[in-house]
Amino acid sequence: MSSPPADGPLVRVRDVHKFYRRGSERIDVLNGLTLDVAEGEFLGLMGPSGSGKTTLLNLIAGLDTPSQGQIWVGDQLISAMSEAQLARWRTRHIGFIFQFYHLLPVLSAYENVELPLLLLGLSAAQRRQQVLNALELVGLSDRLRHRPGQLSGGQQQRVGIARAIVTDPTLIVADEPTGDLDARSAEEILDLLCEIRATLGKTILLVTHDPRAAVRADRLLHLDKGLLVEHAPASSPP
Amino acid sequence: MKFLVLVAKNLRRNPLRTVLTALGTMMLVMVVTLVWSVLWFLDQATTQRSENFKAIVTERWSIPSRMPYSYAATLREGAARAPGDVRPLDWMTWQFYVGTVEPSPQKISLDNMVFVVAIDPDKALTMLEGMDLLTPEQHREMEQIVAKAKVNKQGIVMGRTQMARLNKRVGERINLYGLSNFKGLDFEFEILGQFPPGRYDGLSAMHVDYFNSQMDAYPSRHGGRKHPLADRSLNIVWLKVPDDQAFNHIAAQIESSPLYTSPPVKVETLSSGVGTFMEAFRDLLWGLRWVLTPACLVTLSLVIATAISISVRERQLEFAVLKVLGFRPGQIVLLVVGEALLLGVSVGVATAAGLFVLVNWYLEGIRFPIGFFDVFFVPPMGVAVGAAVGALTSLAGSLVPAWTARNVKVADVFAKVA
Repeated sequence: MSSPPADGPLVRVRDVHKFYRRGSERIDVLNGLTLDVAEGEFLGLMGPSGSGKTTLLNLIAGLDTPSQGQIWVGDQLISAMSEAQLARWRTRHIGFIFQFYHLLPVLSAYENVELPLLLLGLSAAQRRQQVLNALELVGLSDRLRHRPGQLSGGQQQRVGIARAIVTDPTLIVADEPTGDLDARSAEEILDLLCEIRATLGKTILLVTHDPRAAVRADRLLHLDKGLLVEHAPASSPP
Repeated sequence: MKFLVLVAKNLRRNPLRTVLTALGTMMLVMVVTLVWSVLWFLDQATTQRSENFKAIVTERWSIPSRMPYSYAATLREGAARAPGDVRPLDWMTWQFYVGTVEPSPQKISLDNMVFVVAIDPDKALTMLEGMDLLTPEQHREMEQIVAKAKVNKQGIVMGRTQMARLNKRVGERINLYGLSNFKGLDFEFEILGQFPPGRYDGLSAMHVDYFNSQMDAYPSRHGGRKHPLADRSLNIVWLKVPDDQAFNHIAAQIESSPLYTSPPVKVETLSSGVGTFMEAFRDLLWGLRWVLTPACLVTLSLVIATAISISVRERQLEFAVLKVLGFRPGQIVLLVVGEALLLGVSVGVATAAGLFVLVNWYLEGIRFPIGFFDVFFVPPMGVAVGAAVGALTSLAGSLVPAWTARNVKVADVFAKVA
């Protein structure tokens, strides 16, 4: 197995296939997909339902493993990692933003953001500093003790974003982060993502159905039936 | 620490379910702890303790044992007759008597019957089982009662259950009329005091001299005829021995002695004697130990397993999110098992400690008449038993749900959500 070039793209997807079995039937989701994502790039992924965009996102985020092919993130061949190795790797390298926020309802905003840091062996003071920084960045310094149920959808998504960036991950993946928000909140969240990308230099992979979200990306890819069928240029980020 | 906080917060997720699970756990821990306490107590009674080694001498071939009181004089010396023979450290004779406070035969019932043993008051504190476990205050009280009993031979010391049933108080007088084999043996007593709460609640004790004097006086009131039990009034002799070697010597001395041939006697350890008596309750105890207790443990495990399974099923998405954040499968297992353990152990400890206080301090024991024993207490070790029951059952009940949570497939869960 060859190592990737030292100065190549951050994410390298090479001839990846993914299929599932339903009884004796084989369902192909990704068919020999190859993709590079440069460091610091904001990449948008669009496509119809069932096109495989969430599957691709899950594979790149180490939530699932390909049936065939290789996925490199940095110098790590994540497609060959075990479940436990992937879990450790995700803690340090992936920040995940969900469509429905998926905050733990029994924890406060502060505690939700702190959750991934518990796995990193940091001191309480270090954790506190990082959580406060992340919540300040998303503009929720005054909502530390609020539970998810006491926050609006837009605020919950901001907490979700703070949780995604608090570990200073290599890659932020967002699966339809504006899909559950009204237009105004969606715009605020997209502004926030762009700001994070600009200030922290993070690489962002965004899966979306929302054209307003898609135009924020540096590059937009369309997936259809498991293949990248179109490379549509996006407008420049604001 | 934070992990523990997370575990604790998860228990607050559905307060009603947590409270119901805790209540179920509480009830079953209570039953298991009480059953364990009874069995522990009986085990203690039938297990020889080296610091309290007693030989029990009874009639060899007859139950109940009935020996001539004349045996007592030599038995209390361990039948030692040669210079090198071993003698017991202490001794005590038991003569049983059953009477009633009701002079009219038509009104005799269990409620007015009294079971009394005739003993030497001097031996009450040194030989009676359990006296070494009294509190200093109880011990002082017993010393005062014994001092009174030595002076007032017509005194009686009563068990609390008996006194309550007869509605009598210390200082009052009581007449007992002999029942069954003791017919014609009547006594007039002054109640000198009551036994400390616990194992003697159903028993009363009179002075051995008063019993024997009434037995001796029987012929003068009955046309010169001796009482049918006059030569068979000694039921048991206890001999305190230093160790099992001394016990074997004394047992050999007694069983080989020509003094005890009609009737012959046997010598066994007190625990063995109690154990023999408890044989009658063998099936009941077996059922408590091997049917009721396991049934409670299995039921408790199932209660916890059901509650945790429902919780895990409801939180599949949450476990998937935790996995996305980097929680490893083992940590997910710990999280689920931790919730069950926290609930099980805390409820187990609280229940057993509460039971300890309630039973021992407020109820003054649980009434469960079995053999010689009337009342049972929860030993301090019972709190640890409650914790262990809570821990083991919650562990057993949470393993399968924890494994289910561990194996949550992130991609599958999110596919369903999408």
